Amino acid sequence: MKFKQGLFLLFFQLVIVSFFGQETATKSSSIVLLSTKAEYIVDEEITLEFSSDKDVPFQLYCANSYGSTIIEPIISNQNIKFKIPRFLTKKRGAFSWKTINSEANIYGNITILPQQQPATIETYLGPPSIDAGESDYTMLVVIPTDSLDNPILDNSKVDVKHQFLKSEKKEPILTDKLIGFKNIYSPLKSGRMIISSESYGLNSKEFDINVMPAIATNFKLFVKRNHEYADGNQITTFFTSVIRDKNKNIISDGSYIEFYVTNKKGNILKTVGTTINGVAHAKIIHPDFEDNWKVKAFFIGISESDILEINYKKVIENYTVLFKDNNRNIKVGPLKSFMNQIIPDGLSVKLSIYKDNKLIKDFFKESNKGFANFYLDPNIFENDLYKIIIEAAEIKKEFKSFKLW
Amino acid sequence: MVKTNKRILRGVLMLTYVVIISILLFLISAVYTFLNTGADRSKMLHTEVKKVQQYLPKVTWKDDGNAGRKISLQKINAVENDYLDAWYVKQIAYKTNTRVGIEDYFTESARENIYNILDFNKLNKISIESTTLQHNLDIEFFSEDGQLIVLKDTNALEFKKVFKDDKLILQTTEVSTYRYVLLLEDGFWRIRHAVKESSEKFKNELTKTSIAYLDIKGINYYPQATPWNMYGDEFDINIIDKDFKIIKESGLNSIRIFVPYEDFGKANVKLDKLEKLKKLLDTAEKENLKVVVTLFDFYGNYDILDWTLNHRHAEKIVEKFKDHEAILAWDVKNEPNLDFDSRGKENVTAWLDFMINLIKSIDTKHPVTIGWSNTKSATILKDKVDVVSFHYYEDLENFESEYLALKDTIKDKPIILQEFGVSSYGGLWRPFASSNEEQANYYKEIQKVLTKNSIPFMSWTLYDFDKIPKEVLGRLPWRTNPQKKFGFITSDGIKKPSYKHISK
Repeated sequence: MKFKQGLFLLFFQLVIVSFFGQETATKSSSIVLLSTKAEYIVDEEITLEFSSDKDVPFQLYCANSYGSTIIEPIISNQNIKFKIPRFLTKKRGAFSWKTINSEANIYGNITILPQQQPATIETYLGPPSIDAGESDYTMLVVIPTDSLDNPILDNSKVDVKHQFLKSEKKEPILTDKLIGFKNIYSPLKSGRMIISSESYGLNSKEFDINVMPAIATNFKLFVKRNHEYADGNQITTFFTSVIRDKNKNIISDGSYIEFYVTNKKGNILKTVGTTINGVAHAKIIHPDFEDNWKVKAFFIGISESDILEINYKKVIENYTVLFKDNNRNIKVGPLKSFMNQIIPDGLSVKLSIYKDNKLIKDFFKESNKGFANFYLDPNIFENDLYKIIIEAAEIKKEFKSFKLW
Repeated sequence: MVKTNKRILRGVLMLTYVVIISILLFLISAVYTFLNTGADRSKMLHTEVKKVQQYLPKVTWKDDGNAGRKISLQKINAVENDYLDAWYVKQIAYKTNTRVGIEDYFTESARENIYNILDFNKLNKISIESTTLQHNLDIEFFSEDGQLIVLKDTNALEFKKVFKDDKLILQTTEVSTYRYVLLLEDGFWRIRHAVKESSEKFKNELTKTSIAYLDIKGINYYPQATPWNMYGDEFDINIIDKDFKIIKESGLNSIRIFVPYEDFGKANVKLDKLEKLKKLLDTAEKENLKVVVTLFDFYGNYDILDWTLNHRHAEKIVEKFKDHEAILAWDVKNEPNLDFDSRGKENVTAWLDFMINLIKSIDTKHPVTIGWSNTKSATILKDKVDVVSFHYYEDLENFESEYLALKDTIKDKPIILQEFGVSSYGGLWRPFASSNEEQANYYKEIQKVLTKNSIPFMSWTLYDFDKIPKEVLGRLPWRTNPQKKFGFITSDGIKKPSYKHISK
């Protein structure tokens, strides 16, 4: 037990002695930093010099904005020197160092500043197209960087220059938090804006922004046609007034305009056109019967036209129907137009055949040289009494007790 | 006679026939199923999420708006993701001196700065293992076209280990403030400019937390049927409740339990496990027992890139239970000094050091301790822990002197004997090594010392166990068998003679 106690005391003493031993070592720390400069410009040579009264060399840990490494010393006389490699000194930011394997770990920080003079102006501009009208804007972000790709110090002046038509402006901004930025608002007119920047005499390249017309306003609708007859042959053209935004800029070419036609029966016909110089044209064929159209055009979701009303006059007043070959051959015509000319081919003629007032079949034919011919096949239509109705250009003719034999 | 023989023969023949046919059928069906299980259609598109969480430092955002365009939460998440990934690839790069992944997170001109350092380090056989534990981010500017961000990271906490020729030469902790310009390129937020604005040495002034009471008479607890696997499917709060009643009746006032790291879901702590732990703590509170919770059981990596995951694990648990009345103290790790040989003393100590910082930053009410396996190690980090804990399985004779020696070195902090005990095993693998009587005697003797010096204690353990998982002591029977007999109560619930000395 005594032996153990002795051992314990010895151990205890050892602990205390080693404790004190350590204490003295730190006190008589023999490494002193001789370099006093704490601020450098990038790419300046940084050499940290230490004096040490012992010959034990030590290493230096150092870290910059991007990473850390260890540097081996250069020993000369009493002094220990560390030459910081260029890839660490060429980046802006706090540079920290710490001695390794030395009796006392001493550490410090060096501030590495960027060069004053920028070598490039990193420019980011977006969005690339904006609406005219002084409410939309694009943003110019500039990062003036020195020759070693470091953003230059905050509060550096950058002139933002922009040209639009006759106006040329130059406005100064100051960089803050590595960057400088400016919102550039659109002018009233559409067109192209040229933007550039300048810092400490260094000019950026040219950037451009498309100032697009803003959204369209309502417009008027017009019609153009050869004559006002419903001949089912001529073409009617609808066209819009010049469509503009609220600042009188003509909207972009190729804007898609839809034209909706509502006829007398309430049916809807549709045609479309795209704008050129603000005007959209759309075509539609004349109806082949007397009709009244109400037309309205839409720039879907954006604007619309007023309502345009047009009338089509009747062209065929009457026509004759001729029956031959036991009434099986039916010849409709001649179909004559407004000047009694033969109506152009293609007028639709419909023949409906009924038996006991029940529809059996509809025949459709288009007029050819003013006539439409129907043939009722005896294999299909037995000899009997029928009723037929012929319809062309909205003129109906009914033949009751129509006999086939 | 002949007839019966024939019948037997016939029966045997028929049976063999049936057996052969069934074997054949089984084989054919096995081949058939094998040929019919091909690519799973649901896996054809590879839609499963492959991302694993490998880097989760604590991130806080300063929500004070920014110059330029208003930023959405979704964008902020994307920036956070890519920014942390940038740190991760950088750390891998400096660890291995390879360039993998750097080009995804740094723009062409920025990555040159990293490559230069990597080349230098590779040439000089320097490698740097590092991690960051805390980032305090703030978006200062977001451009109108959504392509450029100025990001500030204030007081990022970096821990680095510097190796030269594969030898650790420096460990350093820095608190640095960075400012970045990030550009959105190819869907990645890439670092274009990085400027370290300032860097300081890490100073951590921890406030000391005193332990609620020191009259600890405790026991290390595992249920009899599920030792080392307390929160599995067989978790039964009624059994635990019954055991707690036994513990309380025996005159003890506290227990020590273990939280297994992987079982609890590592960084993403599973809710059902937390629920089980909560039930256990609630029951302890009901029985008026105090609990020392030992974290990181069955964990032994300590790798520096694992730290952030470990921290998220501890954070979840400590955050959830920091106000629980039953908690007596947090034990960071059980016997970490046993990992010194395999993982390196510096690694383990640094890991413990930062884990203490984390736990103490979350819970300011409960003390933190480390369950060292012997008195020699117990002085490690003595300035960081609130309570010094040690285990004692060595000679009973030396116990008092070792304790007094330890007490001499640690004057201002309470010392707890957190594990001690002896097996009553005297069977085949270690004949006559011990017996129930010897175990009782051991406790009787040690209790005298404990009372004399009023040492807070927690013994090992309540029950004898039937099965010890191989992860604990391996498979060797001469090691596992004695471990099964450390209890005060046999596996059949019969109190051993030592039970008399469980608390006095």
